[in-house]
Amino acid sequence: MKKLVIIPAFNEQESILNTVRDIKENAPGFDYVIINDCSKDKTLRICRNNNLNVLDLPVNLGIGGAVQTGYLYAYSHDYDIAVQFDGDGQHDAKYLQYMADILQEENLDMVIGSRFIQKEGFQSSGIRRVGIRFFTLLIRLLFGKTITDATSGMRMCNRKVMELFIKEYPRDYPEPETVSRLLRHKCKVKEVPVIMREREAGVSSISLGKSAYYMVKVTLAILIERLR
Amino acid sequence: MTLKVQILIGIILILVLGAILNMVRKRQLELKYVLAWLFCDLTLLFFDCFPDTMIIVAGFLGIYSPVNMIFFLGFVFSLIIIFSLTVALSRVTAKVRRMAQMMALENYQMENEKEISGTDKQKNLTEQK
Repeated sequence: MKKLVIIPAFNEQESILNTVRDIKENAPGFDYVIINDCSKDKTLRICRNNNLNVLDLPVNLGIGGAVQTGYLYAYSHDYDIAVQFDGDGQHDAKYLQYMADILQEENLDMVIGSRFIQKEGFQSSGIRRVGIRFFTLLIRLLFGKTITDATSGMRMCNRKVMELFIKEYPRDYPEPETVSRLLRHKCKVKEVPVIMREREAGVSSISLGKSAYYMVKVTLAILIERLR
Repeated sequence: MTLKVQILIGIILILVLGAILNMVRKRQLELKYVLAWLFCDLTLLFFDCFPDTMIIVAGFLGIYSPVNMIFFLGFVFSLIIIFSLTVALSRVTAKVRRMAQMMALENYQMENEKEISGTDKQKNLTEQK
């Protein structure tokens, strides 16, 4: 059983080393690959100097394109399981093995690490929680399944889902839209409780000014997904 | 504005809206670039359905006829969309250029490696002779 951690990285010079160390120590059964999406800081140099396994994209593809590159790598290198993992220190590698076990035991297509099942650890800011709850309601209404943390970037999947993701993956803000897509394809998706930390460094890709755009775009994307 | 033109504009806007959404559904258009079109379409549709609001805005801007206001708005939106397309196109151009450059460098490196290993083989052959 080959398992891969995909770490999309954009300007993560402060936290990328800790992230990889965390994976090596707490998830020993996993390989990893860093996708450097044209970071403007020293992320690439740090990776090269420390001999980390890194794919360097020649042009900036955005989070969606970077993650999709990771899935392409996983699929073509015959990995059975691939998991997305943020490079900014928010995610905790000790949950990876646990997620992989559940994925296999219950024969699921995707396992999502959710902050909102046990409601422990970093819970995101109030206004964002409102947005996330809105997506939960929308997805329940349209697809009949409760996903408490559709925006979670900690997601593990099997080869069937990798294939879907390689074919098509949204460029920006992909998480809620792709979860809806999997539900439409009748994939078995389950959430497990995880504890996330506050980011060590870097800024969220969703600033306050962009959040209105984010909400509109993602909502429309989910609605259109229902029409497909 | 007569009811006739109001209905005509309304029908066109709704048809366009349906066509755009259908193309996004079929993945022929990317949602990101379509948002401006949708916003434009829905705003015009709103003013078309509620001409009274249009009269207020037209009066505020000093435009004589509300229907002119619709045309003016459509024109302004078109300009905004064209401009955003120019911006997007410039970005794509820069990216394609960088990709071609990177591929050229990569090919060069691969060819060099081939040549080096090729000369090594030749050396081995002459040594064997």
